[in-house]
Amino acid sequence: MKNNIKVERAVLDITQEQLARHVSVSRQTINAIETRDYVPSTVLAIKIARFFGKSVEDIFTLEQED
Amino acid sequence: MNKSLLLPHRYKKPGWYVLIPAVVAGLLLYISGAEPAWLNMKMLALIEFPLMQADAQQATGPFFHIIQDNISNELVGMLIITGALMVGFSKEHNEDEFIARVRLNALLWAVLVNYSILLFCFLFFFGLEFYSVMIYNMFTVLFLFILRFHYLLYRQSRFTADEK
Repeated sequence: MKNNIKVERAVLDITQEQLARHVSVSRQTINAIETRDYVPSTVLAIKIARFFGKSVEDIFTLEQED
Repeated sequence: MNKSLLLPHRYKKPGWYVLIPAVVAGLLLYISGAEPAWLNMKMLALIEFPLMQADAQQATGPFFHIIQDNISNELVGMLIITGALMVGFSKEHNEDEFIARVRLNALLWAVLVNYSILLFCFLFFFGLEFYSVMIYNMFTVLFLFILRFHYLLYRQSRFTADEK
């Protein structure tokens, strides 16, 4: 699964740490999601999307192999 | 992972303070074979089949009786297990779903590696040497888990160190 969290962060000019704090996870978690090491739970995906004021599928998109 | 099964983060540091001295003491006792006399005491044995013939004559039966025992092994073993459980199963200060996944992955890895080593030892270690393997094996799954878990956390934090 792809995501464009890094781009969205850049738009708002916030760090991983700041995003992590807003959605109540560790910075490692945001980093692992951005580097596609980790696919977040539905709850976390919705929280992240809400933070950016977008729908989940604007942030996360399925890939061919998913 | 069910987070309610984990201890609060404050148990982690005391866990290290219990685990490290207990491991050192355990190794020293095991290597030297020492049994400090002040740890000789009476214990309730739910079951005990005496190894020696002389003991067998004294024994009233294998179940529910008081025996004289040196409890250094029991004490050190209990402290190692308690310390390792506290270190391995206390929440991290930033525990979340990703760390829970790292924890479970480390646990899976530890079980697989531990039993691979045990299978190898089953085949190639015999007699008293296998007895040593069994003693170490009581603790290795927890040790492997703790080492793997902290290595993965360390690797993750190193990758994220400079990230903006």
